[in-house]
Amino acid sequence: MLRRIKGVRYLSSKYFPNEPTSPVVKTASVPGPKSKQINQELGQVYDNKATYFVTDYFNSYGNYISDADGNKLLDVFCQISSIPLGYNNPKLIEAAKSDEMIDAIVNRPALACFPSTNYAQILKDGLLAAAPPGMNKIWTSLCGSDANETAYKAAFMYQHSKIRGNKPFSEEELSSVMNNKAPGASEMTILSFEKGFHGRTFGSLSTTRSKAIHKLDIPAFDWPVAPFPKLQYPLEEFEQENRQEEQRCLNKLEEIIENAPKQIAALIVEPVQSEGGDNHASSEFFQGIRDITKKHNVLFIVDEVQTGVGASGKFWAHEHWNLTSPPDMVTFSKKFQAAGFYYSNPDLQPKDAYRQFNTWCGDPSKAILAKAIYQVIKQDGLVSKTANVGDYLYSGLQQLVNKSDKLKNLRGKNFGTFIAFDCVNADVRNKLLADCRLNGLNVGGCGESGVRLRPTLLFEQKHADLFLNILEKVL
Amino acid sequence: MSNQSVSAKYFPNEPQQPIVKTTSLNVSKQEIEALGKVFDSRSAYFAADYSKSIGNYIADVDGNLYLDVYAQIASIPLGYNNPALIETAKSDKMIRAIVDRPALGNFPGNDLKEICGEILKVAPKGQDKLWSGLSGADANELAFKAVFFWYQAQKRGYKTDFSREEVESVMHNQAPGSPELAILSFERAFHGRLFASGSTTCSKPIHKLDLPAFKWPKAEFPSYKYPLDENVEANKKEDERCLAIVEDLFKTWSIPIAGVLVEPIQSEGGDNHASGEFFQGLRDLTIKHGALLIMDEVQTGVGATGVMWAHERFNLQPPPDLVTFSKKFQSAGYFFHDPEIVPNFAYRQFNTWCGDPARMILAGSIGEQILKNDLVKVADRVGKYLYEKLEKLQSKYPKYLKDLRGKDRATFIAWSLESSEARNQFLNDMKKVGINIGGCAEDSVRLRPTLIFEENHADVLIEAIEKVLSKY
Ligand SMILES: Cc1ncc(COP(=O)(O)O)c(C=O)c1O
Ligand SMILES: Cc1ncc(COP(=O)(O)O)c(C=O)c1O
Repeated sequence: MLRRIKGVRYLSSKYFPNEPTSPVVKTASVPGPKSKQINQELGQVYDNKATYFVTDYFNSYGNYISDADGNKLLDVFCQISSIPLGYNNPKLIEAAKSDEMIDAIVNRPALACFPSTNYAQILKDGLLAAAPPGMNKIWTSLCGSDANETAYKAAFMYQHSKIRGNKPFSEEELSSVMNNKAPGASEMTILSFEKGFHGRTFGSLSTTRSKAIHKLDIPAFDWPVAPFPKLQYPLEEFEQENRQEEQRCLNKLEEIIENAPKQIAALIVEPVQSEGGDNHASSEFFQGIRDITKKHNVLFIVDEVQTGVGASGKFWAHEHWNLTSPPDMVTFSKKFQAAGFYYSNPDLQPKDAYRQFNTWCGDPSKAILAKAIYQVIKQDGLVSKTANVGDYLYSGLQQLVNKSDKLKNLRGKNFGTFIAFDCVNADVRNKLLADCRLNGLNVGGCGESGVRLRPTLLFEQKHADLFLNILEKVL
Repeated sequence: MSNQSVSAKYFPNEPQQPIVKTTSLNVSKQEIEALGKVFDSRSAYFAADYSKSIGNYIADVDGNLYLDVYAQIASIPLGYNNPALIETAKSDKMIRAIVDRPALGNFPGNDLKEICGEILKVAPKGQDKLWSGLSGADANELAFKAVFFWYQAQKRGYKTDFSREEVESVMHNQAPGSPELAILSFERAFHGRLFASGSTTCSKPIHKLDLPAFKWPKAEFPSYKYPLDENVEANKKEDERCLAIVEDLFKTWSIPIAGVLVEPIQSEGGDNHASGEFFQGLRDLTIKHGALLIMDEVQTGVGATGVMWAHERFNLQPPPDLVTFSKKFQSAGYFFHDPEIVPNFAYRQFNTWCGDPARMILAGSIGEQILKNDLVKVADRVGKYLYEKLEKLQSKYPKYLKDLRGKDRATFIAWSLESSEARNQFLNDMKKVGINIGGCAEDSVRLRPTLIFEENHADVLIEAIEKVLSKY
């Protein structure tokens, strides 16, 4: 099946007039010999065990990633879902060359102590303009893990402050905390879901439940975990079963909260569990979480580190749910390059200064980049374009999955390009990923046997066609 | 003394004096309030105008220009708007790094080895590898993870696979997969504010309250009597007392101690110094008890103590296992040398970005400038000059310059006042005469200037201190 669409104006051509029209693979293997050699040298100074291939960023362009051997691969993995507008996007280059950026690079401020005059404006024109509905405040950090951890800190301080009321810290709190003991050190917890992924520093890792290899040998807090629905596909055929499964999980969640030996300060969940296998749940399920958390005074944190910034066909994936009231905090990173969390309740800002604090408190250079990213997305209507391309891609994939005895569980209908499917087992999946690379397609896995698509927001129909053709060929 | 001023070379137009236009800071207050509506800005000193800041001077929005001896909490290495760093910021390499930020662990750029190589040119003695992170707290937590991986690998065998029980229990955050293991730190230490780094931080309750913490132990850090040369015997006893506590904790703490984490000079906690013997003692104890030693050089590193890395003075044998860095280096992470500190399997020391080449490139440039201009020596020279002047002031105003610390530690100098109020008053008054200066612990003042802070800047600082103190 050959797919070609005529007469379509491509935005990607506006940004990348010289983008390759198809992948170029010159070597008999990917990674090729040069990649292997450079990677081996790199290993002398830097842990390189997870390298796919060594990349030539100078020659990467648009939706194509170039490797050290000169291969150019259509990239639907995009630095683990973190390249929003293609490689070497001219608008981002413009931002990178701006005086504002140079200032932010060479004069990095300790933001909370010596905020720069333009930080408020940078936030307003970028990160805050993009804030999810109902949110108007932000705390900035540096990556997904610490975005979540700073949100957890806000949750713990909020809950304790609620209990304490207007009383000052007690003598006992002040002294016990210096020995890492209660009552000064909190015994409260954060609840997460089976297969959830929220990062790898110690607090966020305690809520990560995706794979053992992410967690082994690292001390963890004894925090509760609830089951996440395991939906059956195709959804249309299993409506009743899936509704029951979600209800089962909600019941279990409420039971866990009601019987928790220690107060649960907050619950964190991804709109789509990404690293854990692109596991979806329905809007009703998430509304159920909203209701239960409200009822039990548990803060509701939505982790949009991977789902956020347009790929789902909404700017924030949780907008798909139409919740009756917004989540309490929404965390972000990856495609926004900047990281942190949004909120609206002023009480989520601790009563005293220097509690939510560290040296840099974010990085204006990344906030400037986020601003440029947001402005391109808005100006070019990339969110709705992504929704359309996603629909096209999904229906193409549906045909492939229907035909193939190797693929199953296609997910992400009406969810932009945030699409995934499973292979019948991990070996088939791993071979598929390797074969795709050899055919000029850089694609990533997730979960045990999943394949996930995480292309840029400038991934268009012509790229979707190439993708489908290569996948079909490989299959 | 070299008569070639480095600051004049970088900043021919650097002002000679601070400019104090107004002490009411009206514009600053407005801006901070506006920012406060969307971003917690209650700890702001003033709103800074970085485009007007130059060299050792920071500008605020009210038109004031302060001599900056706080330098973004010890994190500006070469002055504001340093032309060499601007050149780096404009380079193609930097632009590429900003625009196409890689997931380094999966898709390293073909120049990553070179970028690491630049940083490693100024690595601590005995260290030849690095792992990169994003902040001081992150650097320390990455180091803890490396320590725990290593510790368990010692027991299990470096290449041995995990047991089924480990793989299952870890998904419930339970042992043996999530083992109970501890990092030992010290009273008054500061190592960051994420959950594990926060568990090792022990400077002030406000840094820790209401946050869950691991049940990790604290030993005592030596509290010396000053002046040092008059209290040699007592301070030696103090070292021994503290080391005995460490040894005792190794033997008695309910959780095995996998690593010891220590700052060469406890900075946030009050600029507390300890002797080379104390640190060698720690080194010996970690080896004896099968644990690793992490030196936290986040604040002390990169030249300000008159050596590139403060712990190099202790000449530890063997060198520390991990050395963490951030702040002045702009890039964060840890140095190490033992290949078995790299975990046995992929995806263990891992995250999306695994560092930030934009900041790593800047670190390389900072290192290059430091070497090229011998800035560690400059700091050493200026530090001596400054310390002598402070000693003189001390004899004149002993109440306001108690326990002067940092002799022979270049510009990494601190002293105490009689109370927290007196200290805060002093910091405030210094601002009014055009000096931006920071505190540490409850009652101390610390100097954390750039590496291009020279005699002329020291003179301005001394004059300002004298001006303030003469009115007390
Ligand atoms: C949903 C989610 N949260 C948090 C993280 C952690 O982000 P980082 O790797 O930047 O710490 C990730 C990374 O994959 C993620 O997918
Ligand atoms: C010695 C030391 N370690 C760690 C940190 C934490 O660094 P960051 O604020 O970048 O997380 C600091 C910050 O002051 C520090 O002084």
